Amino acid sequence: MAAPILSLVIVGHEDHPIFEVDLGSRTAEPSTRDERAQYLHQFVLHASLDAVEEQLWTTPAMHLGTVDRFNNLQVSAYVTAAHIKFLLLHDGRSDDTIRSFFRDVYECYLRVIMNPFITPTTRITSALFQSKIRGAARNYFR
Amino acid sequence: MPAKPRVAAEAGLDALTAELVRYYRAVGHGTVPAALLEAIGQRVGRALAERYTRDKPRMVEHLDVIKWTCKELWGEVFRKQVDSLRTNHRGTFVLKDNHFRWTRSISVDPGDLGAGAAATAATAAAAADHLHLPCAIIRGALQSLGVDCAVTADPSHLPAVDFTVVIAPPPTR
Repeated sequence: MAAPILSLVIVGHEDHPIFEVDLGSRTAEPSTRDERAQYLHQFVLHASLDAVEEQLWTTPAMHLGTVDRFNNLQVSAYVTAAHIKFLLLHDGRSDDTIRSFFRDVYECYLRVIMNPFITPTTRITSALFQSKIRGAARNYFR
Repeated sequence: MPAKPRVAAEAGLDALTAELVRYYRAVGHGTVPAALLEAIGQRVGRALAERYTRDKPRMVEHLDVIKWTCKELWGEVFRKQVDSLRTNHRGTFVLKDNHFRWTRSISVDPGDLGAGAAATAATAAAAADHLHLPCAIIRGALQSLGVDCAVTADPSHLPAVDFTVVIAPPPTR
């Protein structure tokens, strides 16, 4: 059974990626085939930022749904009031699950952002944040 | 899961901000280095804006952002709402707070005061130092919501303080 494709990127101010994680893989070590796939996922996610920018001006809602497609992969986006973008690369999941997942990610993100040492360009490296995101992904996408 | 909100005494916040100004006045040998206070305030303003707009959909218009500032941001940070908002519809907004809480305890030695005008001028000068931080908090919050601006405060009619927000014009091509 092919591993589910699931990749989360959080993009902060001035288009800086502040968090990237591959949630589909069960183990932590990437094989060579997975590395090529990871490059592709990263490329698709960053390329979809243009589509997110266009759509976020058309609606005041935070959840933008599926903003971009590539082959069988879809990118869903969630943009906060402060224009922080959460992007999820997936291969077809229910919109409601993704919506709830984004809300959980937003909660965790808010706690991390209260750290006074974080600047707009700092990458989030907290292991607790990673484990919370992985836990949320396991809850919603298993 | 929502955490139970913890509360602290407002006197504690007053003491903290007053001490910040006093400390940086000592660091700057008598004059307050505004840039330091502004850096602190902007950082705080950015984080506060992210937290307080948690469930709010994005605000596309500058006016919506300013209105949010007058109601929700002011309510959370300064414990009341802005009393009057004026605009020239060309990017300048004046937010008038008739009883600004952060400067309500500022007093000047009565021995230095002369006539009425000199008294207000002296209190205004003393208050100006304490207004760098609130201006920077407002500026940081607005910038985090996508409104690039400059914020100044006018304390010449204490206890009322006028905050002027000048939105930077979009870059011409």
